[in-house]
Amino acid sequence: MNFRNILAEIEKTDPEVYERLSGRRDVLRSFGSKVAAAALPIAVGSMFKKAYGKTTSAVGDALNFALKLEYLEFNYYHVANNTGGLIPGSDQPGFQTIEAHELSHINFLTNALTTMGVTPYTPKNYNAASNIPAYIPSGAYDFTKGGTYHVFEDYKTFLIVAQTFEDTGVRAYQGQMPAFFGSANSTVLQQALEISCVEARHAAHIRYVRRLSGAAAEYPAPWITNNIPPIVALQANYLGEDNVGQEGITITSLPGASGTIPQASATAAFDEPLDAPTVLALVTPFFIL
Amino acid sequence: MKIWNTPAGGQVEEMESGYDVSRRRFFQLAGGIAGAGILFSACKKTSGPTDVYIGSGDTALLNYMYILQQVEAAFYTQAVVTNYYGISQSELQLLTDVRDQEIAHREFFKALLGSDAVMPIDIAFSSVTFADRTSVLTNAAQLEDLVVTGLIGAAPLLTNTDYTREFNKMVTVEARHSAYFKDVYAYNTFSTGVGSNAMDHSNSPSAVLAIAQQNYILTKFDSRKLPN
Repeated sequence: MNFRNILAEIEKTDPEVYERLSGRRDVLRSFGSKVAAAALPIAVGSMFKKAYGKTTSAVGDALNFALKLEYLEFNYYHVANNTGGLIPGSDQPGFQTIEAHELSHINFLTNALTTMGVTPYTPKNYNAASNIPAYIPSGAYDFTKGGTYHVFEDYKTFLIVAQTFEDTGVRAYQGQMPAFFGSANSTVLQQALEISCVEARHAAHIRYVRRLSGAAAEYPAPWITNNIPPIVALQANYLGEDNVGQEGITITSLPGASGTIPQASATAAFDEPLDAPTVLALVTPFFIL
Repeated sequence: MKIWNTPAGGQVEEMESGYDVSRRRFFQLAGGIAGAGILFSACKKTSGPTDVYIGSGDTALLNYMYILQQVEAAFYTQAVVTNYYGISQSELQLLTDVRDQEIAHREFFKALLGSDAVMPIDIAFSSVTFADRTSVLTNAAQLEDLVVTGLIGAAPLLTNTDYTREFNKMVTVEARHSAYFKDVYAYNTFSTGVGSNAMDHSNSPSAVLAIAQQNYILTKFDSRKLPN
Protein backbone atom coordinates (compact mmCIF):
# COMPACT_ATOMS: atom_id res chain seq x y z
CA MET A 1 0.00 0.00 0.00
CA ASN A 2 1.49 3.29 -1.07
CA PHE A 3 0.16 6.05 1.15
CA ARG A 4 1.09 8.88 -1.23
CA ASN A 5 -0.77 7.16 -4.03
CA ILE A 6 -3.90 6.89 -1.88
CA LEU A 7 -3.82 10.60 -1.17
CA ALA A 8 -3.27 11.33 -4.86
CA GLU A 9 -6.28 9.17 -5.74
CA ILE A 10 -8.48 10.90 -3.18
CA GLU A 11 -7.31 14.27 -4.46
CA LYS A 12 -8.84 13.45 -7.84
CA THR A 13 -12.33 13.34 -6.35
CA ASP A 14 -11.71 15.62 -3.38
CA PRO A 15 -9.22 18.39 -4.19
CA GLU A 16 -9.43 19.58 -0.60
CA VAL A 17 -8.15 16.39 0.95
CA TYR A 18 -4.88 18.02 2.03
CA GLU A 19 -6.73 20.91 3.60
CA ARG A 20 -9.04 18.53 5.45
CA LEU A 21 -6.03 16.70 6.76
CA SER A 22 -3.92 19.80 7.36
CA GLY A 23 -4.69 19.85 11.05
CA ARG A 24 -3.03 16.52 11.19
CA ARG A 25 0.08 17.57 9.33
CA ASP A 26 2.29 16.20 12.04
CA VAL A 27 0.60 12.85 11.78
CA LEU A 28 1.13 12.90 8.03
CA ARG A 29 4.80 13.61 8.51
CA SER A 30 5.16 10.83 11.00
CA PHE A 31 3.89 8.34 8.45
CA GLY A 32 7.00 9.02 6.45
CA SER A 33 9.25 7.63 9.10
CA LYS A 34 8.13 6.19 12.36
CA VAL A 35 4.76 4.47 12.22
CA ALA A 36 4.96 0.72 12.13
CA ALA A 37 3.55 -0.78 8.95
CA ALA A 38 1.14 -2.99 10.89
CA ALA A 39 -0.51 0.01 12.54
CA LEU A 40 -1.01 1.88 9.30
CA PRO A 41 -4.49 0.77 8.21
CA ILE A 42 -6.03 1.63 11.59
CA ALA A 43 -4.23 4.95 11.81
CA VAL A 44 -5.27 5.89 8.29
CA GLY A 45 -8.83 4.81 9.00
CA SER A 46 -9.18 7.01 12.05
CA MET A 47 -7.52 9.94 10.32
CA PHE A 48 -9.97 9.90 7.41
CA LYS A 49 -12.91 9.31 9.70
CA LYS A 50 -12.03 12.54 11.50
CA ALA A 51 -11.50 14.44 8.26
CA TYR A 52 -14.76 13.27 6.69
CA GLY A 53 -16.70 12.92 9.92
CA LYS A 54 -18.96 15.85 9.06
CA THR A 55 -20.29 14.17 5.94
CA THR A 56 -20.93 10.87 7.69
CA SER A 57 -22.65 12.73 10.49
CA ALA A 58 -24.94 14.60 8.07
CA VAL A 59 -25.97 11.32 6.42
CA GLY A 60 -26.39 9.68 9.81
CA ASP A 61 -28.49 12.55 11.14
CA ALA A 62 -30.77 12.41 8.11
CA LEU A 63 -31.23 8.64 8.36
CA ASN A 64 -31.81 8.84 12.11
CA PHE A 65 -34.43 11.52 11.55
CA ALA A 66 -36.19 9.22 9.06
CA LEU A 67 -35.91 6.38 11.57
CA LYS A 68 -37.61 8.49 14.23
CA LEU A 69 -40.60 9.04 11.91
CA GLU A 70 -40.72 5.35 10.96
CA TYR A 71 -40.97 4.42 14.66
CA LEU A 72 -43.80 6.90 15.10
CA GLU A 73 -45.70 5.43 12.15
CA PHE A 74 -45.07 1.82 13.09
CA ASN A 75 -46.38 2.35 16.60
CA TYR A 76 -49.44 4.16 15.28
CA TYR A 77 -50.43 1.28 13.01
CA HIS A 78 -49.45 -1.39 15.51
CA VAL A 79 -51.82 0.04 18.12
CA ALA A 80 -54.57 0.55 15.53
CA ASN A 81 -54.29 -2.96 14.13
CA ASN A 82 -54.58 -4.31 17.66
CA THR A 83 -57.57 -2.19 18.60
CA GLY A 84 -60.67 -4.32 18.07
CA GLY A 85 -63.53 -2.66 16.19
CA LEU A 86 -61.49 0.24 14.84
CA ILE A 87 -60.57 -0.84 11.30
CA PRO A 88 -63.30 -2.48 9.18
CA GLY A 89 -62.48 -5.98 8.01
CA SER A 90 -62.17 -4.99 4.36
CA ASP A 91 -59.53 -2.39 5.22
CA GLN A 92 -57.50 -4.52 7.63
CA PRO A 93 -55.22 -6.20 5.04
CA GLY A 94 -54.03 -2.79 3.84
CA PHE A 95 -53.14 -1.54 7.29
CA GLN A 96 -51.44 -4.80 8.21
CA THR A 97 -49.30 -4.40 5.09
CA ILE A 98 -48.45 -0.82 6.02
CA GLU A 99 -47.52 -1.79 9.59
CA ALA A 100 -45.20 -4.52 8.26
CA HIS A 101 -43.62 -2.03 5.85
CA GLU A 102 -42.84 0.46 8.61
CA LEU A 103 -41.18 -2.30 10.64
CA SER A 104 -39.09 -3.27 7.60
CA HIS A 105 -38.02 0.35 7.22
CA ILE A 106 -37.03 0.53 10.91
CA ASN A 107 -34.92 -2.60 10.54
CA PHE A 108 -33.33 -1.46 7.30
CA LEU A 109 -32.42 2.01 8.58
CA THR A 110 -31.16 0.61 11.90
CA ASN A 111 -28.87 -1.81 10.06
CA ALA A 112 -27.67 0.87 7.65
CA LEU A 113 -26.78 3.22 10.51
CA THR A 114 -25.04 0.48 12.47
CA THR A 115 -22.99 -0.43 9.39
CA MET A 116 -21.99 3.23 9.02
CA GLY A 117 -20.80 3.30 12.61
CA VAL A 118 -23.59 5.65 13.70
CA THR A 119 -25.74 4.85 16.74
CA PRO A 120 -29.30 4.24 15.51
CA TYR A 121 -32.11 6.26 17.06
CA THR A 122 -34.34 4.42 19.52
CA PRO A 123 -37.53 5.88 21.00
CA LYS A 124 -38.04 6.78 24.64
CA ASN A 125 -38.73 3.65 26.76
CA TYR A 126 -37.19 1.44 24.08
CA ASN A 127 -36.56 -2.08 25.36
CA ALA A 128 -34.43 -4.29 23.12
CA ALA A 129 -35.42 -7.36 25.13
CA SER A 130 -39.18 -7.02 24.66
CA ASN A 131 -41.28 -9.17 22.33
CA ILE A 132 -41.50 -6.58 19.58
CA PRO A 133 -38.75 -4.07 20.44
CA ALA A 134 -40.01 -1.51 17.89
CA TYR A 135 -43.35 -1.33 19.72
CA ILE A 136 -43.27 1.03 22.70
CA PRO A 137 -46.34 0.19 24.85
CA SER A 138 -46.32 3.40 26.88
CA GLY A 139 -44.62 6.66 27.61
CA ALA A 140 -43.31 7.47 24.12
CA TYR A 141 -46.27 8.57 22.01
CA ASP A 142 -49.51 10.44 22.43
CA PHE A 143 -51.36 9.83 19.19
CA THR A 144 -54.38 11.73 20.47
CA LYS A 145 -52.27 14.91 20.57
CA GLY A 146 -53.38 15.75 24.08
CA GLY A 147 -56.90 14.42 23.59
CA THR A 148 -57.55 16.34 20.36
CA TYR A 149 -57.82 13.31 18.08
CA HIS A 150 -59.69 10.17 19.12
CA VAL A 151 -57.67 8.14 16.66
CA PHE A 152 -58.25 4.70 18.18
CA GLU A 153 -61.97 5.23 18.79
CA ASP A 154 -63.06 6.92 15.58
CA TYR A 155 -62.02 5.37 12.26
CA LYS A 156 -62.39 8.59 10.27
CA THR A 157 -60.10 10.41 12.67
CA PHE A 158 -57.65 7.52 12.52
CA LEU A 159 -57.57 7.87 8.70
CA ILE A 160 -57.11 11.64 8.83
CA VAL A 161 -54.07 11.38 11.09
CA ALA A 162 -52.71 8.39 9.11
CA GLN A 163 -52.92 10.33 5.85
CA THR A 164 -51.23 13.32 7.45
CA PHE A 165 -48.41 11.18 8.88
CA GLU A 166 -47.78 9.57 5.47
CA ASP A 167 -47.93 12.79 3.44
CA THR A 168 -45.68 14.49 5.98
CA GLY A 169 -43.38 11.47 5.91
CA VAL A 170 -43.02 11.74 2.14
CA ARG A 171 -42.25 15.44 2.45
CA ALA A 172 -39.80 14.79 5.30
CA TYR A 173 -37.86 12.25 3.22
CA GLN A 174 -37.74 14.77 0.39
CA GLY A 175 -36.33 17.33 2.79
CA GLN A 176 -33.55 14.96 3.86
CA MET A 177 -32.45 13.97 0.35
CA PRO A 178 -29.86 16.77 -0.03
CA ALA A 179 -27.82 15.06 2.72
CA PHE A 180 -27.38 12.17 0.28
CA PHE A 181 -26.42 14.22 -2.78
CA GLY A 182 -22.99 13.58 -4.27
CA SER A 183 -21.51 10.46 -5.79
CA ALA A 184 -20.14 9.21 -2.45
CA ASN A 185 -23.70 8.73 -1.16
CA SER A 186 -25.49 7.71 -4.34
CA THR A 187 -26.50 4.32 -2.91
CA VAL A 188 -28.00 5.99 0.16
CA LEU A 189 -29.93 8.40 -2.06
CA GLN A 190 -31.24 5.51 -4.13
CA GLN A 191 -32.34 3.58 -1.04
CA ALA A 192 -33.94 6.62 0.56
CA LEU A 193 -35.92 7.17 -2.64
CA GLU A 194 -36.96 3.51 -2.67
CA ILE A 195 -38.29 3.86 0.88
CA SER A 196 -39.98 7.21 0.24
CA CYS A 197 -41.86 5.74 -2.73
CA VAL A 198 -43.36 3.10 -0.47
CA GLU A 199 -44.41 5.86 1.96
CA ALA A 200 -46.04 7.57 -1.02
CA ARG A 201 -47.91 4.33 -1.79
CA HIS A 202 -49.20 4.30 1.79
CA ALA A 203 -50.34 7.90 1.48
CA ALA A 204 -52.09 7.17 -1.82
CA HIS A 205 -53.84 4.13 -0.34
CA ILE A 206 -55.07 5.90 2.78
CA ARG A 207 -56.30 8.80 0.66
CA TYR A 208 -58.13 6.31 -1.56
CA VAL A 209 -59.70 4.65 1.48
CA ARG A 210 -60.91 8.08 2.56
CA ARG A 211 -62.20 8.86 -0.94
CA LEU A 212 -64.22 5.63 -0.98
CA SER A 213 -65.66 6.39 2.44
CA GLY A 214 -66.91 9.70 1.05
CA ALA A 215 -64.66 11.85 3.21
CA ALA A 216 -66.51 15.13 3.55
CA ALA A 217 -66.41 17.79 0.86
CA GLU A 218 -62.68 17.34 0.39
CA TYR A 219 -63.16 14.05 -1.53
CA PRO A 220 -59.41 13.39 -1.55
CA ALA A 221 -57.43 12.12 -4.52
CA PRO A 222 -54.51 9.71 -3.87
CA TRP A 223 -52.10 12.65 -4.37
CA ILE A 224 -51.87 16.07 -2.72
CA THR A 225 -54.01 18.63 -4.53
CA ASN A 226 -52.97 22.23 -3.92
CA ASN A 227 -52.33 22.51 -0.17
CA ILE A 228 -55.66 21.01 0.88
CA PRO A 229 -55.46 19.28 4.28
CA PRO A 230 -57.90 16.60 5.50
CA ILE A 231 -59.02 19.01 8.23
CA VAL A 232 -58.23 22.68 8.78
CA ALA A 233 -56.34 21.95 12.01
CA LEU A 234 -53.73 20.05 9.95
CA GLN A 235 -53.18 22.82 7.41
CA ALA A 236 -49.57 23.38 8.53
CA ASN A 237 -48.57 19.91 7.25
CA TYR A 238 -49.61 20.94 3.74
CA LEU A 239 -48.21 24.46 3.48
CA GLY A 240 -46.09 24.88 0.36
CA GLU A 241 -47.79 22.04 -1.52
CA ASP A 242 -49.53 24.63 -3.69
CA ASN A 243 -46.19 25.52 -5.31
CA VAL A 244 -46.46 25.82 -9.09
CA GLY A 245 -42.86 26.95 -9.78
CA GLN A 246 -40.28 24.27 -10.59
CA GLU A 247 -36.75 25.31 -11.63
CA GLY A 248 -38.04 28.74 -12.57
CA ILE A 249 -40.73 27.24 -14.79
CA THR A 250 -44.34 28.07 -13.96
CA ILE A 251 -46.16 24.78 -14.48
CA THR A 252 -49.58 26.42 -14.77
CA SER A 253 -48.29 28.42 -17.77
CA LEU A 254 -47.36 25.29 -19.73
CA PRO A 255 -49.67 23.92 -22.44
CA GLY A 256 -52.15 21.31 -21.18
CA ALA A 257 -54.64 18.93 -22.78
CA SER A 258 -56.69 22.04 -23.52
CA GLY A 259 -55.45 25.47 -22.55
CA THR A 260 -52.80 25.41 -19.82
CA ILE A 261 -52.10 22.86 -17.07
CA PRO A 262 -54.81 23.16 -14.38
CA GLN A 263 -53.59 24.37 -10.98
CA ALA A 264 -54.84 21.19 -9.24
CA SER A 265 -52.77 18.90 -11.47
CA ALA A 266 -49.75 21.25 -11.58
CA THR A 267 -49.49 21.09 -7.79
CA ALA A 268 -50.33 17.38 -7.52
CA ALA A 269 -47.60 16.47 -10.02
CA PHE A 270 -44.83 17.40 -7.54
CA ASP A 271 -44.49 16.46 -3.88
CA GLU A 272 -42.77 19.29 -2.01
CA PRO A 273 -40.01 18.87 0.59
CA LEU A 274 -40.20 19.94 4.23
CA ASP A 275 -37.05 20.59 6.25
CA ALA A 276 -36.31 18.81 9.53
CA PRO A 277 -37.17 21.68 11.92
CA THR A 278 -40.58 22.13 10.25
CA VAL A 279 -41.34 18.40 10.40
CA LEU A 280 -40.20 18.22 14.02
CA ALA A 281 -42.51 21.06 14.96
CA LEU A 282 -45.39 19.24 13.25
CA VAL A 283 -44.85 15.82 14.85
CA THR A 284 -43.54 16.76 18.31
CA PRO A 285 -47.08 17.10 19.77
CA PHE A 286 -47.51 13.36 19.08
CA PHE A 287 -44.49 12.50 21.23
CA ILE A 288 -44.36 12.31 25.04
CA LEU A 289 -41.23 14.27 25.83
CA MET B 1 -53.05 2.10 -32.64
CA LYS B 2 -50.41 4.78 -32.87
CA ILE B 3 -50.45 8.09 -31.08
CA TRP B 4 -48.42 10.95 -32.41
CA ASN B 5 -47.26 13.84 -30.32
CA THR B 6 -47.58 16.96 -32.38
CA PRO B 7 -44.97 19.70 -31.96
CA ALA B 8 -47.61 21.84 -30.25
CA GLY B 9 -47.80 19.28 -27.49
CA GLY B 10 -51.20 17.96 -28.53
CA GLN B 11 -51.95 14.43 -29.55
CA VAL B 12 -53.56 13.02 -32.67
CA GLU B 13 -54.57 9.47 -33.22
CA GLU B 14 -53.98 7.31 -36.19
CA MET B 15 -55.45 3.94 -37.00
CA GLU B 16 -53.21 0.95 -36.52
CA SER B 17 -50.70 0.94 -39.30
CA GLY B 18 -49.46 -2.05 -41.23
CA TYR B 19 -46.03 -1.45 -39.77
CA ASP B 20 -47.18 -2.32 -36.26
CA VAL B 21 -48.80 -5.51 -37.38
CA SER B 22 -45.87 -6.66 -39.44
CA ARG B 23 -43.50 -5.82 -36.61
CA ARG B 24 -45.52 -7.82 -34.11
CA ARG B 25 -45.79 -10.71 -36.52
CA PHE B 26 -42.05 -10.64 -36.99
CA PHE B 27 -41.51 -11.12 -33.29
CA GLN B 28 -44.11 -13.86 -33.11
CA LEU B 29 -42.40 -15.66 -35.95
CA ALA B 30 -38.95 -15.08 -34.61
CA GLY B 31 -39.95 -16.47 -31.24
CA GLY B 32 -40.91 -19.78 -32.80
CA ILE B 33 -37.84 -20.36 -34.88
CA ALA B 34 -34.89 -22.31 -33.63
CA GLY B 35 -31.79 -20.22 -34.06
CA ALA B 36 -33.76 -17.02 -33.77
CA GLY B 37 -30.72 -15.51 -32.14
CA ILE B 38 -29.21 -15.08 -35.57
CA LEU B 39 -32.27 -13.23 -36.79
CA PHE B 40 -32.23 -10.93 -33.76
CA SER B 41 -28.56 -10.22 -33.96
CA ALA B 42 -28.92 -9.45 -37.63
CA CYS B 43 -31.65 -6.92 -36.86
CA LYS B 44 -30.06 -5.53 -33.74
CA LYS B 45 -28.14 -2.40 -34.40
CA THR B 46 -26.49 -0.42 -31.65
CA SER B 47 -26.94 3.09 -32.96
CA GLY B 48 -27.29 3.98 -36.59
CA PRO B 49 -26.96 7.34 -38.31
CA THR B 50 -30.75 7.91 -38.39
CA ASP B 51 -31.24 7.36 -34.65
CA VAL B 52 -32.31 10.33 -32.55
CA TYR B 53 -29.40 11.55 -30.45
CA ILE B 54 -30.46 12.29 -26.87
CA GLY B 55 -27.31 14.08 -25.72
CA SER B 56 -24.83 13.30 -22.96
CA GLY B 57 -24.58 13.80 -19.20
CA ASP B 58 -27.48 15.60 -17.53
CA THR B 59 -29.01 16.50 -20.90
CA ALA B 60 -29.24 12.81 -21.79
CA LEU B 61 -30.83 12.02 -18.42
CA LEU B 62 -33.37 14.82 -18.84
CA ASN B 63 -34.18 13.71 -22.39
CA TYR B 64 -34.48 10.12 -21.19
CA MET B 65 -37.08 11.24 -18.65
CA TYR B 66 -38.73 13.52 -21.23
CA ILE B 67 -39.16 10.42 -23.41
CA LEU B 68 -40.75 8.42 -20.58
CA GLN B 69 -43.08 11.29 -19.68
CA GLN B 70 -44.15 11.54 -23.33
CA VAL B 71 -45.09 7.86 -23.17
CA GLU B 72 -47.09 8.34 -19.96
CA ALA B 73 -48.86 11.46 -21.21
CA ALA B 74 -49.75 9.73 -24.48
CA PHE B 75 -51.06 6.68 -22.62
CA TYR B 76 -53.45 8.68 -20.43
CA THR B 77 -54.46 10.99 -23.25
CA GLN B 78 -55.65 7.93 -25.13
CA ALA B 79 -57.17 6.38 -21.99
CA VAL B 80 -59.27 9.50 -21.39
CA VAL B 81 -60.37 9.92 -25.02
CA THR B 82 -61.43 6.28 -25.42
CA ASN B 83 -62.19 5.58 -21.78
CA TYR B 84 -62.89 1.97 -20.85
CA TYR B 85 -66.31 0.38 -20.55
CA GLY B 86 -67.85 0.70 -17.12
CA ILE B 87 -65.65 3.59 -15.95
CA SER B 88 -67.05 5.35 -12.90
CA GLN B 89 -67.23 9.11 -12.47
CA SER B 90 -64.52 8.94 -9.81
CA GLU B 91 -62.25 6.86 -12.02
CA LEU B 92 -62.67 9.18 -15.01
CA GLN B 93 -61.96 12.20 -12.83
CA LEU B 94 -58.74 10.70 -11.46
CA LEU B 95 -57.66 9.35 -14.85
CA THR B 96 -58.02 12.87 -16.26
CA ASP B 97 -56.08 14.29 -13.31
CA VAL B 98 -53.24 11.79 -13.86
CA ARG B 99 -53.22 12.68 -17.56
CA ASP B 100 -52.80 16.35 -16.69
CA GLN B 101 -50.05 15.59 -14.16
CA GLU B 102 -48.13 13.58 -16.76
CA ILE B 103 -48.58 16.34 -19.32
CA ALA B 104 -47.22 18.72 -16.65
CA HIS B 105 -44.15 16.49 -16.27
CA ARG B 106 -43.73 16.22 -20.03
CA GLU B 107 -44.01 19.95 -20.64
CA PHE B 108 -41.74 20.67 -17.68
CA PHE B 109 -38.94 18.59 -19.21
CA LYS B 110 -39.55 20.08 -22.63
CA ALA B 111 -39.25 23.62 -21.22
CA LEU B 112 -36.22 22.69 -19.11
CA LEU B 113 -34.40 21.17 -22.08
CA GLY B 114 -35.23 23.98 -24.49
CA SER B 115 -33.40 23.45 -27.77
CA ASP B 116 -31.80 20.25 -26.40
CA ALA B 117 -35.18 18.49 -26.17
CA VAL B 118 -35.59 15.46 -28.43
CA MET B 119 -38.33 15.90 -31.01
CA PRO B 120 -41.74 14.46 -30.17
CA ILE B 121 -41.44 10.73 -30.50
CA ASP B 122 -43.44 7.99 -32.17
CA ILE B 123 -45.37 5.95 -29.61
CA ALA B 124 -47.49 2.79 -29.97
CA PHE B 125 -49.50 0.91 -27.37
CA SER B 126 -50.07 -2.22 -29.40
CA SER B 127 -50.53 -4.45 -26.34
CA VAL B 128 -53.12 -2.21 -24.63
CA THR B 129 -56.88 -2.54 -25.15
CA PHE B 130 -58.12 0.90 -24.17
CA ALA B 131 -61.77 -0.20 -24.10
CA ASP B 132 -60.99 -2.78 -21.43
CA ARG B 133 -60.78 -1.75 -17.78
CA THR B 134 -58.37 -4.50 -16.74
CA SER B 135 -56.04 -3.76 -19.63
CA VAL B 136 -55.92 -0.02 -18.90
CA LEU B 137 -55.51 -0.35 -15.12
CA THR B 138 -52.84 -3.05 -15.23
CA ASN B 139 -50.90 -1.35 -18.01
CA ALA B 140 -51.12 1.99 -16.19
CA ALA B 141 -49.68 0.45 -13.02
CA GLN B 142 -46.96 -1.27 -15.04
CA LEU B 143 -46.01 1.95 -16.79
CA GLU B 144 -45.95 3.89 -13.51
CA ASP B 145 -43.75 1.26 -11.88
CA LEU B 146 -41.35 1.45 -14.83
CA VAL B 147 -41.06 5.22 -14.48
CA VAL B 148 -40.58 4.90 -10.70
CA THR B 149 -37.64 2.53 -11.21
CA GLY B 150 -36.31 4.87 -13.89
CA LEU B 151 -36.49 8.03 -11.79
CA ILE B 152 -34.87 6.35 -8.78
CA GLY B 153 -32.09 4.91 -10.93
CA ALA B 154 -31.43 8.23 -12.66
CA ALA B 155 -31.63 10.63 -9.69
CA PRO B 156 -28.17 9.82 -8.25
CA LEU B 157 -26.57 10.09 -11.71
CA LEU B 158 -27.47 13.74 -12.26
CA THR B 159 -24.63 16.19 -11.63
CA ASN B 160 -26.91 19.22 -11.21
CA THR B 161 -28.60 18.53 -7.88
CA ASP B 162 -31.42 20.96 -8.70
CA TYR B 163 -32.50 18.34 -11.24
CA THR B 164 -32.07 15.57 -8.66
CA ARG B 165 -34.48 17.44 -6.41
CA GLU B 166 -37.04 17.62 -9.23
CA PHE B 167 -36.71 13.89 -9.92
CA ASN B 168 -37.28 13.28 -6.20
CA LYS B 169 -40.41 15.44 -6.22
CA MET B 170 -41.81 13.53 -9.19
CA VAL B 171 -40.95 9.96 -8.25
CA THR B 172 -43.16 9.85 -5.16
CA VAL B 173 -46.05 11.16 -7.28
CA GLU B 174 -45.51 8.40 -9.84
CA ALA B 175 -45.54 5.93 -6.93
CA ARG B 176 -48.86 7.41 -5.80
CA HIS B 177 -50.25 6.85 -9.30
CA SER B 178 -49.04 3.25 -9.33
CA ALA B 179 -50.56 2.58 -5.91
CA TYR B 180 -53.87 4.07 -7.00
CA PHE B 181 -54.19 2.02 -10.20
CA LYS B 182 -53.32 -1.16 -8.30
CA ASP B 183 -55.87 -0.31 -5.59
CA VAL B 184 -58.62 0.41 -8.11
CA TYR B 185 -57.92 -2.85 -9.87
CA ALA B 186 -57.71 -4.90 -6.66
CA TYR B 187 -58.29 -3.22 -3.32
CA ASN B 188 -55.37 -3.25 -0.85
CA THR B 189 -52.79 -4.15 -3.51
CA PHE B 190 -51.22 -0.67 -3.59
CA SER B 191 -47.73 -2.02 -2.92
CA THR B 192 -47.76 -5.25 -4.89
CA GLY B 193 -44.38 -5.81 -6.48
CA VAL B 194 -42.27 -3.69 -4.13
CA GLY B 195 -39.03 -5.36 -3.09
CA SER B 196 -37.73 -6.84 0.12
CA ASN B 197 -37.35 -4.38 2.99
CA ALA B 198 -40.56 -2.72 1.70
CA MET B 199 -38.62 -0.63 -0.79
CA ASP B 200 -39.50 0.23 -4.38
CA HIS B 201 -37.17 -0.98 -7.14
CA SER B 202 -34.57 0.96 -9.06
CA ASN B 203 -33.17 0.36 -12.52
CA SER B 204 -30.51 1.89 -14.73
CA PRO B 205 -31.45 4.39 -17.46
CA SER B 206 -30.31 2.09 -20.28
CA ALA B 207 -32.31 -0.85 -18.92
CA VAL B 208 -35.47 1.23 -18.43
CA LEU B 209 -35.13 2.85 -21.85
CA ALA B 210 -34.76 -0.59 -23.43
CA ILE B 211 -38.00 -1.78 -21.77
CA ALA B 212 -39.85 1.38 -22.84
CA GLN B 213 -38.43 1.02 -26.32
CA GLN B 214 -39.57 -2.58 -26.57
CA ASN B 215 -43.09 -1.94 -25.25
CA TYR B 216 -44.12 1.55 -26.29
CA ILE B 217 -41.73 3.44 -28.57
CA LEU B 218 -41.12 3.16 -32.31
CA THR B 219 -38.51 5.94 -32.52
CA LYS B 220 -34.94 4.69 -32.21
CA PHE B 221 -32.49 6.58 -30.04
CA ASP B 222 -28.77 7.05 -29.95
CA SER B 223 -28.34 6.77 -26.19
CA ARG B 224 -24.69 5.79 -26.13
CA LYS B 225 -23.83 8.78 -23.94
CA LEU B 226 -26.67 8.21 -21.47
CA PRO B 227 -25.08 7.92 -17.98
CA ASN B 228 -25.66 4.62 -16.23
